[in-house]
Amino acid sequence: MVVPGLEVPVDYIPQQVDVLNVIDEAPGVKILALTAPQGKMTFVAGQFVQISVFGYGEAPFTICSSPSQSDSFDICVSAVGRVSNALHRLKPGDRVGVRGPLGHGFPLEQVLGRDLFFVAGGTGMACLRSVIADCRENLSDYGRLIIANGVKTPAKRLFAADLQLWHDDVRTELHETVDTPDASWQGRVGVVPDIIKDVDFDPHNTVAFVVGPPVVFRFAAQNFLNKGVEEKDIYFSLERRFQCGVGKCGHCQVNDLYVCQNGPVFSYSELKSRSEAVEATLPDN
Amino acid sequence: MQPQKHILAFDDLPILLRQWLRSKAVIGPLARQDQPGFYYFDWIDPADADVERLAERLASGYVTTTIPPKKAFFPTRETLFNFAAAGPVVPKNEEHQEPFLLIGVHPCDLAALSLLDTAYAHPPADGPWRKRRSPATVVGIDCLPDQYCFCTSMETSGSRDACDLFLTPITSGFLAEIYSEKGKDLLRGIRTEPAQPRDIQEGEEFLHKKEAAITLSLQAGSEEFAEILDTVDLTEVWEQTAQRCYSCGSCNTTCPTCFCFDVEDTLDTNLTSGRRYRSWGSCQLLEFTLLAGGANTRGERRQRVAHRWYRKFLYLYKQFGHSFCTGCGRCSRACTADINIVDVSNDLIKRAKEKR
Repeated sequence: MVVPGLEVPVDYIPQQVDVLNVIDEAPGVKILALTAPQGKMTFVAGQFVQISVFGYGEAPFTICSSPSQSDSFDICVSAVGRVSNALHRLKPGDRVGVRGPLGHGFPLEQVLGRDLFFVAGGTGMACLRSVIADCRENLSDYGRLIIANGVKTPAKRLFAADLQLWHDDVRTELHETVDTPDASWQGRVGVVPDIIKDVDFDPHNTVAFVVGPPVVFRFAAQNFLNKGVEEKDIYFSLERRFQCGVGKCGHCQVNDLYVCQNGPVFSYSELKSRSEAVEATLPDN
Repeated sequence: MQPQKHILAFDDLPILLRQWLRSKAVIGPLARQDQPGFYYFDWIDPADADVERLAERLASGYVTTTIPPKKAFFPTRETLFNFAAAGPVVPKNEEHQEPFLLIGVHPCDLAALSLLDTAYAHPPADGPWRKRRSPATVVGIDCLPDQYCFCTSMETSGSRDACDLFLTPITSGFLAEIYSEKGKDLLRGIRTEPAQPRDIQEGEEFLHKKEAAITLSLQAGSEEFAEILDTVDLTEVWEQTAQRCYSCGSCNTTCPTCFCFDVEDTLDTNLTSGRRYRSWGSCQLLEFTLLAGGANTRGERRQRVAHRWYRKFLYLYKQFGHSFCTGCGRCSRACTADINIVDVSNDLIKRAKEKR
C-alpha cells in the first residue's frame, strides 16, 4: 500500500495544536479534544498520533474520535507516565505538539458486509471507540455490530455515554462485564473473553477487532478460534512505546515487525508465530 | 562501476590534507592522547592539525576506532529542534554542519554506512541523517586486521560502498580509486599518475594479505545463518549467553550499523524553553521495551540477547537483503563480559546443524 507522504523525509518536528476541551472520563483517565493540525485531520480509525508536551516528551495515542469529525480529534489519556501525567495537567487553551496520523488503522474496506465483533479489555475501548463510531455512521456497510467491553471495576468504565447509546440502539449489541463488581453493578461479572463463548454468532461471517492487555489478546484469540472464526479475520491493535512512529527508532519491534509502521493493527495470522506480540514480563505487584 | 585508478605520492597526502582542511570541515581518525593505541573519529582542527602524522597514520594503518564513524551523520546525541513553552516550535538545529569530508574510513565501515543509508532511506526517510549524509564526501582507506576482525565472513573486506575516493598504501604511494565526481575533485591540484597494472596488482595483493591475516570466520553464510535463526530453536544458546551478558549495551554503542534511538526533551534552566534531542538507543537495556504500566516485552536478558542476533542476522536481512553485521568486531572488543559475536554465532550454527 502506498501511503501518501512517505516520500517526504521525516524531521520529527510536531505541529502545534490547541487543547479544546478536557473531560475527566474515569479515575486517572482524561479525554482531550485537540484542534486538527492545519484545520483538518484525515485518518483511518485505528491510526495513532504522537503527542508532545514540550519539556516532557512525546508519546503515542490512538485517535479515539470518529474519522468523520475532522476539524478536531480526541485522545484518551491514562496517567501512567511522564507525558501522560503532563497531559493530565493541561487546560483548554494550552498547546501541544502533534505528529500524524501514523501507522495503519482497521481494514474496514476489507470487511464490508461482514458481522463485526469488537472486544475491549481495560482501556481498550479508547482504541475501539473510533472504529465503532465509524461503523455506526455507515451501518449499511456491515452486518451485526457486537461489542464486548470488560473492565476491572465499574468505576473504570470508559465512554459511559457511548456505552449507553450502544446499549439503547437496536443496531449495536453491547455486552459488558467487570472483573470485580461493586454495589452499583447489576451486570455480568467475569473476564471479557468469556463473552465470546456466550454470544451466538456466525463464525464464518464474523470479523473480530480486539484491543486490550496481553491476557485479553490470548484468550480472545483462543475463544474466537474455538468458535470457528478464521485466523485472518481476528485483528488486534497492539500498543508499544513508539518514539519515532515511523519504523526507525526500534522500540516497538515485535520480532521482525515494527508495530508503528506495519501496524498497530495486525491480524492473528500475522502475529501467531511472533513470540513478542503478546508475551510480556509484568511488573511485580 | 569501474573506478579510475591513480597513484598518489606519499609526500603529496599531507599537501592534500591541508588543501581539504582549508576547503571543508574534515572528520578523521585521531589518536587518543589518554590511551595510546586507541583511535576516535572527530573534527580535525585546521589551525592545529598535524597533517604529517595524520598522513602517516593513514599510510601505516590504524586500529579500528572504538566508536564507528556513523556518528558523523548520526551524532551520539543530536538536537531535533528547540522549543519555547509559550511560543511555536522553533525548528533550529545547532549541530547542523556545512557539507563535510569524512576521511580514513575502513572498508567494513564503508559497508556499514551503506547499510545505514539503506535503512534510513526506507520510506519515510530519516531527515536528520539525510541532511548530513547527502552532501558529505567520504574517503576510504584500506586497513590491517586484528584478532577480532571477521570482515571476510561478512564479505565486506573489499567494500567500496558509500565511498567517493579510496586509498590503498602500496610501494609507490597510494593507489587512489575514484568513485564519484566528488572523489575526483578531492585530487584536484595534485599531480597524480595513472596506475599501472603492477600498481593495481599490488593493491589486490594488499587486500589478499589482509584477508589471509583474518583468523575468525563464521561457519555459515548470511543466507544460511538467517535461515538457521528463523527455523531452529536455539533457546539454550541464548540462555547460556545471557548468563554471561551484563546487558550493558556496549555492543550496541560500538556497532557501526545499530540505528535505534531514544528521544527525550530537556528544559533550560528558565523552565520555559528547551530542546528535543535523540540519542543512540540500546536494545540490550531493560528500559528499551518498557511499556506504560510497567510491562516489558523483552524483560528477560536472554530475550534481549536473542533480539540482537535476530535483528542483525535475520530481521534486517529479510527486510533489506543484507545482514546488518559487517564483521568489524567492535562488539566483541567492547564486550565487558568477553562475549565474542563470532563464537556465539558459530555455537548457534553448530547446534543448529546437530539438531537437523
